[in-house]
Amino acid sequence: MTTAVPAARAESVSFAGKFIQLVPGVVLLVLVGYAGKFVEQSISKYSKAHHLTLPNIEYVLWAILFGCFISNVIGVAKVFKPGIATYEFWLKIGIVLLGSRFILGDVLKLGSVSLILVLIELVLSIALMTFLGRIFKLKPKLTALLAIGSSICGVSAIIAAKGAIDADDEDASFAIAAILALGALALFSFAPIGHALHMNDQTFGLWAGMGVDNTAEAVAAGNMFSDAAGKTAVLAKTTRNAMIGFVVLAYALYFAAREGRNAVGNKAAFLWQKFPKFVLGFLIISLLATLKVFNGDQLTSLANLSRWAFLLTFGGVGLRMNFREMMAQGMRPFIVGALGEVAIAVITLGLVLGANAMVKL
Amino acid sequence: MGDQDNQKQPMPSRGLSVDTLAVLLGLVLAALVRFGVLKHVGW
Repeated sequence: MTTAVPAARAESVSFAGKFIQLVPGVVLLVLVGYAGKFVEQSISKYSKAHHLTLPNIEYVLWAILFGCFISNVIGVAKVFKPGIATYEFWLKIGIVLLGSRFILGDVLKLGSVSLILVLIELVLSIALMTFLGRIFKLKPKLTALLAIGSSICGVSAIIAAKGAIDADDEDASFAIAAILALGALALFSFAPIGHALHMNDQTFGLWAGMGVDNTAEAVAAGNMFSDAAGKTAVLAKTTRNAMIGFVVLAYALYFAAREGRNAVGNKAAFLWQKFPKFVLGFLIISLLATLKVFNGDQLTSLANLSRWAFLLTFGGVGLRMNFREMMAQGMRPFIVGALGEVAIAVITLGLVLGANAMVKL
Repeated sequence: MGDQDNQKQPMPSRGLSVDTLAVLLGLVLAALVRFGVLKHVGW
């Protein structure tokens, strides 16, 4: 009894301490994201007031550019880092709330198209990355991490796979650096290509969701094109994320057999452990919206809350980009990643354009 | 985007993963909107 009280107090102190540690970085995320929104609105107001036709640059791009500037030119102090790391938490809340904008029928229709395309993309990108890794003589586990990162969902998939296939830290940081650098390139190139090809919102959203590796960058790329494209990119990317357990399990079994280790014990438990749980939140909110639990005004409020959560995410995407650190990881994995990513971007573009011609997305 | 990255992110709770926290907070926000505590959220 006497020991329980101080232990409980220590726990609450550490909880409060951890929470306070997050505040500076979260405030920075809000400021960077809001600065992007402010600049977009200011340009729009200025062009309307002066009857000018200025290109409409979405706040997403401004927020990422401001974040990039701070990260690479000014530098991010240590005190901000814990809070900045929460950007994926805001991303997941944004995705859960975005479920309110999908009727379950849409999820099933678009989700099933996404699922078929994602399965084709998975097979092709894993085969391609494995082939390139062999040609460039990368270590098998580094090649596997690059293949997993590019086929499913970037950094998180690499971290998930690292433990499962027993890869070393160096391989994981190489693969993460390559995926992040390429994610940055995709972020800035996808929207102009989409506009040049006159893609519609749904086709572009599908392409962004399938072709850009990290979830935050995929959602940002979609939103840079349009709000509706961002919505579709989330759905396509979420479908891709849901595949993570199967691919990591397959690689874990492969390397365990190769190295004569014990394979994964309970496969169902392994799949559940790797499954991204926020997908369930997205589906629950979508189901509630389908059952008309929310009225029109409430649906608008939920969609706007989702936008605010994404605003924090996009601030974090820029703040996390550090080009010096990315380049310090060496060129070979980057070249393999770049060749693979360009090929995957072209293949997924072909897939979504083909699907659009057949199904009329 | 699996659960594993959650271990890398410093979050206020030790017991819940980032995914679970995100789902819970999302549902709480949805409930607040549904029952009129949060009204007319603008953008």
